[in-house]
Amino acid sequence: MTEFIAPAFSPAYPEIFLAIMAMILLMLGVSTDKEDYRSISRFSILSLIAVGMVVIRLYEGGVTTFGGMFVVDGFSSFMKVLVLFGAAVSIGMATRYARRERIMRFEYPVLILFSTLGMMLMISANDLMALYMGLELQSLPLYVLAAMQRDSVRSTEAGLKYFILGALSSGILLYGMSLLYGYTGTTQFAGLAAAFESFSHGGVPLGVMTGMVLLMCGMAFKISAVPFHMWTPDVYEGSPTSVTAFFAIVPKIAALALMARILTGPFGNMVLHWQQVIILLSVASMVLGAVAAIGQRNIKRMLAYSSIGHMGYALSGLCAANQTGVQAVLVYAAIYMVMSMGAFAFVLMMKRKDRMVEDIYDLSGLSKTQPMMALGMAVIMFSMAGIPPLAGFFGKLYIFQAVVNAQLYMLAVIGVLSSVVAAYYYLRVIKVMYFDAEDEALDAQEDRGLNLVMMLSSLSLVTFILVPAPLITAARLAAETLLR
Amino acid sequence: MEHIAVLSPLLGALIAGLFGRQIGDGASKFVTCGLMTVAAIASVILFGSVCGANGEARPVIDLFTWIASGDLKVAWSLRFDELAAVMVLVVNLVSCAVHYYSIGYMSHDKAQSRFMAYLSLFTFAMLMLVTSNNLVQLFFGWEGVGLASYLLIGFWNHKDSANDAAMKAFVVNRVGDFGLALGIFATFALFGSLDFDMIFGAVEIMGGVTVQFLGMSVHAISLICGLLFIGAMGKSAQLGLHVWLPDAMEGPTPVSALIHAATMVTAGVFLVARMSPLYEMAPDVRVFITIVGALTALVAATIALTQFDIKRVIAYSTMSQLGYMFFALGVSAYSAAMFHLFTHAFFKALLFLGAGSVIHALSGEQDMRRMGGIWKLIPSTYMMMWIGNLALAGIPFFAGYYSKDLILEAAYASAAPWSAFAFWCGCVAALLTAFYSWRLLFMTFHGKPKSDEKVMAHVHESPMVMMLPLAGLAVGAVMAGWVGYDIFTGEYRDAFWGESLKVFAENDSVLAAHHVATWVKVLPIGLAAAGILLAYICYMRARHMPAVMAATFSLTHDLLQNKWYFDEIYQSLIVSPLKSLGRKLWKTGDVAVIDGMGPDALASAVVDASGHAGRMQTGYVYNYAFAMLIGVVVIVSMFVLGALS
Amino acid sequence: MIEALFFYVFSTVLVLSAMMVISAKNPVHAVLYLILSFFNAAGLFVMLGAELIAMILVIVYVGAVAVLFLFVVMMLDIDFTRLRDEAQKHAMVGAITGGVLLGELAWVYSQWMGARDALARAAQTAPQATKGLTNAHALGQLLYTHYAYLFQVSGLILLVAMIGAITLTLRSRPGVRKQVISHQLDRNPADVVKIEKIETGAGVS
Repeated sequence: MTEFIAPAFSPAYPEIFLAIMAMILLMLGVSTDKEDYRSISRFSILSLIAVGMVVIRLYEGGVTTFGGMFVVDGFSSFMKVLVLFGAAVSIGMATRYARRERIMRFEYPVLILFSTLGMMLMISANDLMALYMGLELQSLPLYVLAAMQRDSVRSTEAGLKYFILGALSSGILLYGMSLLYGYTGTTQFAGLAAAFESFSHGGVPLGVMTGMVLLMCGMAFKISAVPFHMWTPDVYEGSPTSVTAFFAIVPKIAALALMARILTGPFGNMVLHWQQVIILLSVASMVLGAVAAIGQRNIKRMLAYSSIGHMGYALSGLCAANQTGVQAVLVYAAIYMVMSMGAFAFVLMMKRKDRMVEDIYDLSGLSKTQPMMALGMAVIMFSMAGIPPLAGFFGKLYIFQAVVNAQLYMLAVIGVLSSVVAAYYYLRVIKVMYFDAEDEALDAQEDRGLNLVMMLSSLSLVTFILVPAPLITAARLAAETLLR
Repeated sequence: MEHIAVLSPLLGALIAGLFGRQIGDGASKFVTCGLMTVAAIASVILFGSVCGANGEARPVIDLFTWIASGDLKVAWSLRFDELAAVMVLVVNLVSCAVHYYSIGYMSHDKAQSRFMAYLSLFTFAMLMLVTSNNLVQLFFGWEGVGLASYLLIGFWNHKDSANDAAMKAFVVNRVGDFGLALGIFATFALFGSLDFDMIFGAVEIMGGVTVQFLGMSVHAISLICGLLFIGAMGKSAQLGLHVWLPDAMEGPTPVSALIHAATMVTAGVFLVARMSPLYEMAPDVRVFITIVGALTALVAATIALTQFDIKRVIAYSTMSQLGYMFFALGVSAYSAAMFHLFTHAFFKALLFLGAGSVIHALSGEQDMRRMGGIWKLIPSTYMMMWIGNLALAGIPFFAGYYSKDLILEAAYASAAPWSAFAFWCGCVAALLTAFYSWRLLFMTFHGKPKSDEKVMAHVHESPMVMMLPLAGLAVGAVMAGWVGYDIFTGEYRDAFWGESLKVFAENDSVLAAHHVATWVKVLPIGLAAAGILLAYICYMRARHMPAVMAATFSLTHDLLQNKWYFDEIYQSLIVSPLKSLGRKLWKTGDVAVIDGMGPDALASAVVDASGHAGRMQTGYVYNYAFAMLIGVVVIVSMFVLGALS
Repeated sequence: MIEALFFYVFSTVLVLSAMMVISAKNPVHAVLYLILSFFNAAGLFVMLGAELIAMILVIVYVGAVAVLFLFVVMMLDIDFTRLRDEAQKHAMVGAITGGVLLGELAWVYSQWMGARDALARAAQTAPQATKGLTNAHALGQLLYTHYAYLFQVSGLILLVAMIGAITLTLRSRPGVRKQVISHQLDRNPADVVKIEKIETGAGVS
């Protein structure tokens, strides 16, 4: 073998730093006598923020390293900043709740750090193997986190279900990858694209398409698109709420990023083939997300279906398969993240007589007992339902614009119709809070952090219309780098 | 400095509005008044620097981009040219006075911090309106002041009449706003931009463009100007769309002073002045403006003669003065209109706040028939009202004299069609103005006390915090005229306004107004004096006269008393038919046909589907795995079948 | 010829034993079949010339994983027959789904047509077959140079797995008496033993 040339590490500095920080914090947690959760949490948040800074600072266009397995471009930077921000906020939201529910061990933030690291690797993946490694590093901590409440049957069950189904989806994904490798002899995205190019004259072999479909199915599991969504409601309901918040806020963003990169990169020439699959997933998710949530009384289950629906909208933006589509997806993902932060901060505050409650009807008459809380939640629900002039409306608007521009009229029509149906259950929450007879009041808030998260979230949803430019511009730049 | 002048009211509104309950009423008042004072000082400094700049344009300050979508680019920006500087000065000064006044006036109210927050919010929206550099931000401010006005008219929301008045104001304004919105669309369609600089730069090129509308070819710029003017009519309560203004007096008096006298209602005047390069190209629309303005001035003055509610009299007087401003705009005397806007803001706010002081003294009484004989008890307020009335009537050396006479002279001197009509309407209105002003004064302060003894025993001068703003405004009402005359309309006129107002040389009626015959200059003064004398005779000497007059001309009197039956006509011609049409559509069309077949049937279907979807979620992990695999098989089959066929 | 014979023997046994894993009634037998299938897979690897991987398969999967399985199966009292009965309710759907998928995949493979330069491209990353290059050497060269990144990430994944296992199972039970040797050694007779003279017949107070 020839001499070994060390790869350039500089594009991966954020990831390397995060890995080292996670390990240091792990060691700190092990070696401190009394388990000091709070300082570990704080350090985790700080290191996430620091990594975010480094990501922004090191921003450079289109650099690959590690033998082409790892790519850093505008798109990856945008998504990484989102993911890091979401992870930092969800650790912050969890601290007090986790202490009260006695699930706060120092491993909690450390696992979140590792999961976040996995997501960053996923976002930067430029090779099928790197993709798989990132995916596993991302999901393994999630399985553990779901089962974190060891004494609760539901939490353990959630963790186990998630683990088994996750393993199944990984199997499907790997099978697809092996097919692709068999047909093309490479796992690199660039090589795949080149190989597909060479197919295009004689038609793409069925095996390649099957491989692609299996790959997409594996990823669809991660963003819980129908019919790979079945784990979502159970896991959302069973996991400790702070963990559910993390599930809802962050991993889907990373998986969506991965999907966007793969579909526009290596499969960029096969749009007509994958478009049908994504349309199918998208329509099924939008419809099921709208319809199934209506029957739910548990607010966590309801939000699970809501997230399925939201992912359906994001996928339909991908169907457009052009820059405006990807841009719309990025904007949508960012807005979705802010909305779920607010919504879960609210769920984490739902407490009566020091016990968590999760039933929607526990909120009866909240507007009278806790007016600010009810107002914040009302804004978030309106935004999720896509009522103008809130941010959620614009997210959907951009998506539908892209879809219509791509002449997928049927998809746009189904999307709009299902968002009408979905409005029902969002508005029901508001109706219960504002028009139902007063129930026993929820406990007063002692957690200022959660309150702050919810208020900032709803405030930014309201003010998005005034200052949309930064997000839109950033998303446009990111989408440009992906589709150059 | 620009940022301070515009953004500090917003800060005040946010603090008082969001944290009012936490920090308490006292702190809210302190914060809003303090920030308003800062803004007022900043605007005085800005005005000074604009005056000193000799017409050199100040650069537009871009805050940040708002909308960028295709050709449409809109930024939040602050455009501080001369026109904006004048408006900012007026708005901030009057608003500052009103803020302080409100501390005293609202001191017994339960929701003071909310009130202060609304006031500051209004001020901010008004500032956004006047400093905007494009029509969209202007529209934002336009709707913002509309919203604040709605909130403040209905501030005492336990009163049904206040809620009704607030809704009426909102709905009537909607008609005007619709015109404004259409005007903005048309502007964008024609010019491809909404930035003022771009629009004004392209006016010459677009001057001859016509558009096809219903088979007629319409002059494009005239169309735009007409639509924008409809918006201005709504906001500035011009005849036809004025019905909300008198009802708006249901709001607290400081609100009437700030919004419905000094600032918001003049937004229409500002809009036309701002778009003067366009209006200069549209002489037909200007004729229309002249007629509407002149009729408004006259009709409003006649209605004011017979009203008994002290605030309504002043409200109709405001409407009449706005009419003056509009016909001044119609004859291209933009600077005269702005000058009158400037002076009017001071003396009309003074009158309103003075009236508020009277109402305060009489424990909330607003009917002039139950006032009287209190001039010795509240001499300071009495004096303030005198100053305000003198300025309003245009008695020499008070503010109104300079601006109102100039408008009349400009109307006389102008060569535009219908300007003579406007001149004569204005003269008659001047006579009536003086008459109803002194009628108000005599009925309120003189004669025998007509209130019950309990109220009379309680009559007291308002506290200092209310009187000082009055004094400040009184200084303005006395001085604003002769200080501003030369700057706004006299020899420094061109140097001052610079590029911000545009008048074609052949239309320049303000220049011509300086050379009219002496009788034109003297006539309004004479008419005002006659009006005062007449009022003195009717209400101090021969007290039976008004009743005799009313009996003799009972038809006319009824017509005036009922405000020319505008409300009734609207009710029977527009509101009732629309309501019954709506009811029919709702009962038969919506409930029976559409709901029955569509939503209700669909809704139950969706609920069923939801049940099915819920049952699919069995909780068994192998079921879930099955679902996933079936999904994979279905999708793969899709491709295999596609390849087979 | 003889190679082909071995290939078919290994493959057939592998497939059959894999089927037995899921159909054997006795769970211990199932695990034993699993071990058998591992051995056969290892045999196939040897035939490919990948001795190291074959050995790793035997040592790690047979030696560690499968034996661990065996222990777990023997120690936990799981009623596998009942579980299987549950699953048999869905046997039809399962059979159809599996059958369709199998058929489709068979058809897909029958249409095999790789990219023209697939083999060449695959060979790019392979180590050059120089003389005397051992299996372990070649794998090591790849793992620690070309795939160093993946190798590191795998390390992280294993670390996370370890953390997860500890987090979910390690409990500190209060009240359990453990032997702490340092505490035992720390004890000083003077601190803990008190000697008192007791008068005869007076008792202990």
